[in-house]
Amino acid sequence: MAEERAIPQSPLAAELGAGVRDALTTVVPSIVAYGAVWGGLARQTGLSLGEVVAMCLLVSAGTAQFVALPMLASGAPPAVIVVTTYLVNLRHYLMAASLAPAFRHLSRLRLAGLAHLLSDEAYALTQARFARRPARAAYFVGCASVIYLAFYAGAVAGALLGARIPDPKRFGLDFVFPAVFLAILAQAIRAAWQWAVAVAAVTVAVAIAWQVGGTWHIAAAGLSAAALGAWLAPAARAPETPEPG
Amino acid sequence: MRPGLLGLFAAMGVVTYLTRAPLLLALADRRLPGWLERYFAALPIALLTALAVPLVLLPDGRFGGLADGQVPAAVLVVWLARRTGNLLLSVAAGVVLVATLRAVLS
Repeated sequence: MAEERAIPQSPLAAELGAGVRDALTTVVPSIVAYGAVWGGLARQTGLSLGEVVAMCLLVSAGTAQFVALPMLASGAPPAVIVVTTYLVNLRHYLMAASLAPAFRHLSRLRLAGLAHLLSDEAYALTQARFARRPARAAYFVGCASVIYLAFYAGAVAGALLGARIPDPKRFGLDFVFPAVFLAILAQAIRAAWQWAVAVAAVTVAVAIAWQVGGTWHIAAAGLSAAALGAWLAPAARAPETPEPG
Repeated sequence: MRPGLLGLFAAMGVVTYLTRAPLLLALADRRLPGWLERYFAALPIALLTALAVPLVLLPDGRFGGLADGQVPAAVLVVWLARRTGNLLLSVAAGVVLVATLRAVLS
């Protein structure tokens, strides 16, 4: 044991561990709870335990899986469910694009594997980390895989427990997701142009979420407010871009 | 396990993957023009704001009001995060306030 202690922890293991720890102490309890709610609903919709497992492993997109259940229950055509899944996940194009520069040293095979793990929560935690420390893919792998497993574990538990799952809203657990995003923003926003981007995103997102509904507001506000940021941000190297090479 | 459902889940998985992988692969190994780098530097703030604020103001697509508890809790989270820089503390305090307000006001 003493010998093990003498060996300094590798940067890779440290980054992986930091990702796991940050996910466990922030979003994971809520993700397990919402996974359990989804698993319970899926059983009520008529999915077997095996089908619940298959859907989590194959789709691995919580929001889309929630949206798909009432569609399955009402007998919607499979093509409509697939198109809806695609539309609900459109925001991931933007998240993948903004993470890509930090992963430029990785092989294509590894990038293809990382892509499957992308989620809103993993994106948020990773961006917060990369804004303060050198970008390391291991951090993303740590937090994203724990988040992936948390929804899966919650879903299986919920499928086994069925209707006995209490409403997470009673415990304020639904607030964990916006709270994590807001806390990250509160620490990230410093310059005037960043305030302008946030105000623009609030305006567009709230207007569309209120008038149109669905999940369109995320991609629409993301695209338009970032364009304002590209115009207003100082022409010198942008602050959150990781060091080249 | 119904084969039709398995096929449906596989198709849902493929289209989900198609939103995650292409730009990650396409943009990871090239230098971007300056305006695009500034665009991607602004994207996290734009996206996280667009995710968070409607969840707080419009839970279930309608204005939630005070009894929902999320608006005062969001103010607390932002204040604590700027003040302390502690993510876990800020989020935990917000969740406790939401749960308390809902228990008291509903």
